[in-house]
Amino acid sequence: MGQVVEFLNVLNQEPWRFIIGAFAVLNLVLGSSAVLVMAERKVAGYFQLRFGPNRVGPRGLLQPLADVIKLLTKENTAPGRADMWIFLAAPIAMLLPVAVVWMVIPFAPETVVANINVAILFFVAITSVGALGVIMAGYGSRSNFSLLGALRGAAQMISYEVPLILSLLGVVMLTGSLSLVDVVNAQGGGFWNWYLLPQLPMFITFYIAGLAETKRVPFDLPEGESEIVGGYMIEYSGMTWALIQAAEFAGMALMSAMTTTLFLGGWQPPIAFLDLGQFNWIWFAIKTSVVIFTFQWIRWSIPRLRMDQLMDLGWKVLTPLTIVWLVVTAGAMLVF
Amino acid sequence: MTVVFGFLAGMMLVSALGTVLSRNVVHSALFMSGSFLAVAGFFVMLGAPVLAAFQVLVYVGAVTVVILFGIMFTQRPQARRFSTIMNRQIWAGLLIALGVGGLLSVVLVAEDWGDVAAGQGNRNVEDFSLALLGVAPGTGIFVLLFEVVAVLLLVAMVAAIIISRRKPGEGEDTRPDGQQPQNIGGGS
Repeated sequence: MGQVVEFLNVLNQEPWRFIIGAFAVLNLVLGSSAVLVMAERKVAGYFQLRFGPNRVGPRGLLQPLADVIKLLTKENTAPGRADMWIFLAAPIAMLLPVAVVWMVIPFAPETVVANINVAILFFVAITSVGALGVIMAGYGSRSNFSLLGALRGAAQMISYEVPLILSLLGVVMLTGSLSLVDVVNAQGGGFWNWYLLPQLPMFITFYIAGLAETKRVPFDLPEGESEIVGGYMIEYSGMTWALIQAAEFAGMALMSAMTTTLFLGGWQPPIAFLDLGQFNWIWFAIKTSVVIFTFQWIRWSIPRLRMDQLMDLGWKVLTPLTIVWLVVTAGAMLVF
Repeated sequence: MTVVFGFLAGMMLVSALGTVLSRNVVHSALFMSGSFLAVAGFFVMLGAPVLAAFQVLVYVGAVTVVILFGIMFTQRPQARRFSTIMNRQIWAGLLIALGVGGLLSVVLVAEDWGDVAAGQGNRNVEDFSLALLGVAPGTGIFVLLFEVVAVLLLVAMVAAIIISRRKPGEGEDTRPDGQQPQNIGGGS
């Protein structure tokens, strides 16, 4: 028994703790994206008054397993004129940034892989790399549809990065710290302390910009299957396609987790007496799942925006709104 | 620490060489982003994660993407490949490179750097950055950096508006909905 405790203590020291945590987070990302694919199809089914996948396992719950086996055994094809290195590196360049950001998100009290004091800045910096993977995929495929999708995707992601970053500043000002652990700790004590209420415009902006950053409906112009038949991922198949899909779904989960952490109190219980101690990750999971469900709800309810409407919304509505609310927040902090 | 340093240095050298030697402009730009990432890794090793984050944000996230945009929009597909990596300025370039390299070597050898083996430079870099920014220790450092980034963003936005604004007499496109026909640089 003593040896086990000692062994666990060694594992809790710095290099091993980080390595194990990173490995666990990577598995969480891949696993959650597999489950989210099924969730997406089930939600779509129920929204359209049908069942969705229901053959594999009870109520179709083992569908992700079948999907993974199918994708692993499929052939990996590439266009003959493709730029092979870029073509193959693009899915990795899309998945890695999404996976890395999970390391700074606090899942429960004292449960975060890397508690760095500039976690929000880290999130912003890594998110901005995402556009690179899209451009690589579009260029590497050497296909007109791919390139068109990549240009749309990059333009959209760069545009919506501005309101995304600006909407974080209110939270940073109220907390006085760039650490996500501090942000969550500052929202304790009940749901009226969450930043959702004082930062409501920022929350809406972050949510919409998050939808755009993950390229989901109504901002799915880069994929636009009715116009450019899949956009930048049109030439991918098998495991490379699966990596891109994993990046998309993990990105959706990441945006939901960030929304939860920044505006919905992270792992903080809604009312103080519901505190579960170390099991507060359950609150984090519930809130994140609800946000993910709203993402899917929107996907199956709202039509796609046009390109000019997309740019108008980003630059003429969301960006001024965040700047105005930044000033309001600063003024309120000065007065109170 | 030495292993990490070796990995980062190797990554940086390979990426930098790839940037210069690659015959495809897009490959060069992507190699350059790899080099920028390695620099960010060095900043993390030196105990300056803020600098690393801004390095990734500005250079990998923004500059490389803009360069790739520029390449795709402006160049014909054939022009993306150059037949030679040598050009008329090779001797002048060699001279300048050797001169800068020699100067840097002399400075690096002559200067007493104290105890700054790999992973040991935290304190020095922190002092250096605080002195550079002229702020007290603590969270104050973030404020100025945020200001700088905000100004940079504002300038970029204004510049984008100025560049993309069409002059009144210039209307080459008279379609009723006012949309530009998109010119994508894709090769067919």
